[in-house]
Amino acid sequence: MIDHFAIVEKEIDIPAMLDAARRPDCGAIDLFVGTTRVDESSGSLVEYLEYEAYRPMADRKLAQVGEEIRERWDVGYVSIIHRLGRVEPAEASVAIVVAAPRRGAAFEASRYAIERIKEVVPIWKREVWSDGYVWVGSQVRTRPPG
Amino acid sequence: MQGITVVLFGAAADRAGTRTVELSAAGVSTLDDVWFGLVEAHPGLAPMQTMLAFAVNGEYAERGAPVAAGDEVAVLPPVSGG
Repeated sequence: MIDHFAIVEKEIDIPAMLDAARRPDCGAIDLFVGTTRVDESSGSLVEYLEYEAYRPMADRKLAQVGEEIRERWDVGYVSIIHRLGRVEPAEASVAIVVAAPRRGAAFEASRYAIERIKEVVPIWKREVWSDGYVWVGSQVRTRPPG
Repeated sequence: MQGITVVLFGAAADRAGTRTVELSAAGVSTLDDVWFGLVEAHPGLAPMQTMLAFAVNGEYAERGAPVAAGDEVAVLPPVSGG
C-alpha cells in the first residue's frame, strides 16, 4: 500500500481514509482530525476558518512529513489530507491516519505529523470572526485587539 | 530581460495588498536584494520582516541565498496549517 498525501478543496472523506489504512500486518490505526473550533472573545465569535497554501511546495512538504515518519517509526501506512478554503465550525481542516504494527508508533507518528505540519508546510489559516479577521501566528488582524 | 516573480501569502499578501509582484532583476543577486526591492514597492511589509520566511523556486532559503532572473521568490508568513 502506497502512502497518501493530498491537499484538497472539498470535505475530507475520513471514513475512506480509515478504510484505506486497514492492513493485516498492523494492529493499530490512529486517526487525528483537526476541526474548526468556535472561539469566543470580547462578545465576538469565530464564524469560520479559511486556509490557503503555496502550491506545489505545500504538497511536497506534506509528503516530506510522511517520509520523516517512515524514517523514525515502524509504520505500515500513512495518509494526510489537508483542506483549503472555507471550513465551517466542527468541519475537518486536516486528517491524519497512521497504521502501525503496534499502537505506540501509531500514536507517536500521528502526533508528530500534526506538529510538523504546523512547522514546515506552507499553509496559512485565517480566523474569520463576527467583528473582523485574524491571520493566525502573524499578528495581522482587522478585529479589535482583545 | 526576464524579471523576478514574487508571490505573497497570508498576512504578507494582506499587508502588501497584492499576491504577486514582478521585480526587475537588475542589481539583484540575493534574497536580501529582493526583500529591499519589495519593501520599497510595498512599505506595509516592513514591520513583518522579523517573522517572514522565504522560498526560492519552492524551497526554503536564507536571506543570503542567490536569486537570478526567472526565479520565483515566495514570501511566507509563519505557517499556521492544521
